[in-house]
Amino acid sequence: MAAAEARGREFPVGMKVLVVDDDPTCLLVLKRMLLDCRYDVTTCPQATRALTMLRENRRGFDVIISDVHMPDMDGFRLLELVGLEMDLPVIMMSADSRTDIVMKGIKHGACDYLIKPVRMEELKNIWQHVVRKKINENKDHEHSGSLDDTDRNRPTNNDNEYASSANDGGDGSWKSQKKKREKEDDETDLENGDPSSTSKKPRVVWSVELHQQFVNAVNHLGIDKAVPKKILELMNVPGLTRENVASHLQKFRLYLKRIAQHHAGIPHPFVAPASSAKVAPLGGLEFQALAASGQIPPEALAALQDELLGRPTSSLALPGRDQSSLRLAAIKGNKPQGEREIAFGQPIYKCQNNTYGAFSQSSPAVGGLPSFAAWPNNKLDMTDSPSTLGNVGNSQNSNMLLHELQQQPDTLLSGTLHNIDVNQPSGVVMPSQSLNAFPASEGISPNQNPLIIPSQSPSFLASIPPSMKHEPLLGSPSPSTSLLGGLDMVNQASTSQPLISSHGANLPGLMNRSSKPSPGISNFQSGNIPYVVNQNAIGVSSRPPGVLKTESTDSLSRSYGYIGGNTSVDSGLLSSQSKNPQYGLLQSQNDVSGSWSPSQDFDSFGNSLGQGHPDSTSSNFQSSALGKLPDQGRGRNHGFVGKGTCIPSRFAVDEVESPSNNLSHSIGNSGDIVNPDIFGFSGQM
Amino acid sequence: MDYSNLRRQAASMKKSLFDQGYLDEQFCQVEDLQDEASPNFAEEVVTLFFKDSAKLISNVEQALEKYPKDFNRWDAYMQQLKGSCSSIGASRMKSECMSFRDYCGQGNVEGCMRSFQKVKREHGALRQKLEAYFQLLRQAGQLVLLELPPGPGCKN
Repeated sequence: MAAAEARGREFPVGMKVLVVDDDPTCLLVLKRMLLDCRYDVTTCPQATRALTMLRENRRGFDVIISDVHMPDMDGFRLLELVGLEMDLPVIMMSADSRTDIVMKGIKHGACDYLIKPVRMEELKNIWQHVVRKKINENKDHEHSGSLDDTDRNRPTNNDNEYASSANDGGDGSWKSQKKKREKEDDETDLENGDPSSTSKKPRVVWSVELHQQFVNAVNHLGIDKAVPKKILELMNVPGLTRENVASHLQKFRLYLKRIAQHHAGIPHPFVAPASSAKVAPLGGLEFQALAASGQIPPEALAALQDELLGRPTSSLALPGRDQSSLRLAAIKGNKPQGEREIAFGQPIYKCQNNTYGAFSQSSPAVGGLPSFAAWPNNKLDMTDSPSTLGNVGNSQNSNMLLHELQQQPDTLLSGTLHNIDVNQPSGVVMPSQSLNAFPASEGISPNQNPLIIPSQSPSFLASIPPSMKHEPLLGSPSPSTSLLGGLDMVNQASTSQPLISSHGANLPGLMNRSSKPSPGISNFQSGNIPYVVNQNAIGVSSRPPGVLKTESTDSLSRSYGYIGGNTSVDSGLLSSQSKNPQYGLLQSQNDVSGSWSPSQDFDSFGNSLGQGHPDSTSSNFQSSALGKLPDQGRGRNHGFVGKGTCIPSRFAVDEVESPSNNLSHSIGNSGDIVNPDIFGFSGQM
Repeated sequence: MDYSNLRRQAASMKKSLFDQGYLDEQFCQVEDLQDEASPNFAEEVVTLFFKDSAKLISNVEQALEKYPKDFNRWDAYMQQLKGSCSSIGASRMKSECMSFRDYCGQGNVEGCMRSFQKVKREHGALRQKLEAYFQLLRQAGQLVLLELPPGPGCKN
């Protein structure tokens, strides 16, 4: 680990950089430059793959440099996701130097914005962003607590010292505003007994699962009443501090605002023909949050709904729908390449109590809209619009949902998986979980939470063991509540199956997820033990683009539980088994295994479902892998969990390079070389 | 073989490329990245650039045919090409790309078509010249560019 040592001794030597750009020439030049700066460089020509890599190995990178215009995912979207999920500094770059675009980058949270062609001098300075971020994080930790002396001694905000080539002061002020907000948000009581040290704190990895818990908590409290302390209590994640929650909440709010603005009709300036400028899909939670906070203008809301549903059809009785916006949404949604400006992961509908759930209008009956963790999904290329609840094909929805789900930690999924497994050949597990997370589609009818009213949904619910049907044992506040809640229900409800109460053990969304396969899961699919870790993703098709595309209407099934996709509840998860073979939710054992086949690119990629050892894969593409794999076992699955399982093999192959490719040569689709650069130099390209 | 003569020729060729605006300072940056570990880096980059840009150009061409008046799409494709040009310092090509995008902004189909033809011409011309340049370098035994004094236009 010479490089690691070198890194320690001589920062920023060995700093781990991930470069994402679809332009191979630029990638090559940048890589060379970064190597000359003595950083560890990993390049990736595809944003979706980069995100996968990041999810697999959050601590594998210190900073990300990403292009703005990419065919498979909008750079800003990647930026947001990375910021929210991994909290890593992201530097945007583009040949486009227009101020409004640069501003957009900053608003989305970019640490810096470089104009191409990027010069060596600029790259030499990027380490500052890493340091700055760490310092700011540490500050968050000390926010409500007592301040260390070290904290005082530490240079206070470097916010204004951005080595930005494109912005002047704009970002600085944004950051300082952010800081102020953080101060306001934080409560003053100390969560931790000891004052946070200024030394490196273990960074909290906001996995999909963790974020989902967070979102559920926020949803439960109501966005305007969600304070870090209460959120923390609700989440009940050992090891998580109030400061972690506070800073995450901060970002989340920013994200919501941005979504709201975006949906308010701000046209997306770059809709590349071949690319889908996907905006973060707005989950139900976001809507709820936005609505609650009064941040969503009605037209934005309508537009959002339209988008989610994909088609402003009459099938969705969305209230207050504006015809023109519906049409617009429809038009957008219809674009073959999915050039939607806004990719909604979930269909949303307004509940009586003003919460938004991703359900068709027809099912407002459910007591409360289950809060689903609508984590912005990185919709890659969601060209299809999987039918959301309203039967509108909104592949995005399902995608998103799946995406989110897939990142759920093993705990949740494994528990559910286990259950379902027992009952059904298919990976029903997901459904319960997903249902929790995402309101069931209309098919599910009034019961938003599939777990709660299993009997009503035809296939999916049917698959749930009778014991599981019932009222929530947990007594969770709202029907749907959090996934976690759902999971508990599942666990408790089912009597026949050996529920895997993995969530208890695996709760922490932090880096240390235990990856041991729960016994239950093995029942499910004996051969899939390695996937167990990935189980989380069961049902969640982590693979957005490929999967969704082919899926079309059934795409929902992908998003297990999400139901957004298939109109009639059945979207795969809930509905007839025949429908969603892929997702494993309703599949027979065989099917499931099929869906988990290694061909799923994600699986093989990150989770190497069944294929190589997860560890091995990650190490391959980790530039930082100077042999070291952070969070190995567990980390891998995040997010991918679902991928492997749910996605039918046919999708897997679709757009994603097989994992093996990725790992070994990291060859992008375009033939670019994604070199882990394990040794810190690429040598000959 | 008169290496020094070839070397001079190569230097002079490079100078003229800069003088005529085919290349700009970014090209120097790329050349500077060469070292013992990657002595042919500049040539590799240029090769990759031409391979990739051929695809991008063909994308634009198809878009011009298949999606008439779809300025957004055309612009987006050209944006990609422009970014690529800027990475190696293909200055004239880049200018033409920008002018194409201007025409897109104006909704001027005729202007776009003309401009696109120019982009293609510049692309072809640059390819020819750089091929000749690297060829000369090879002949001059100067694959390791370190030996070649920085040409005009390079500030180092």
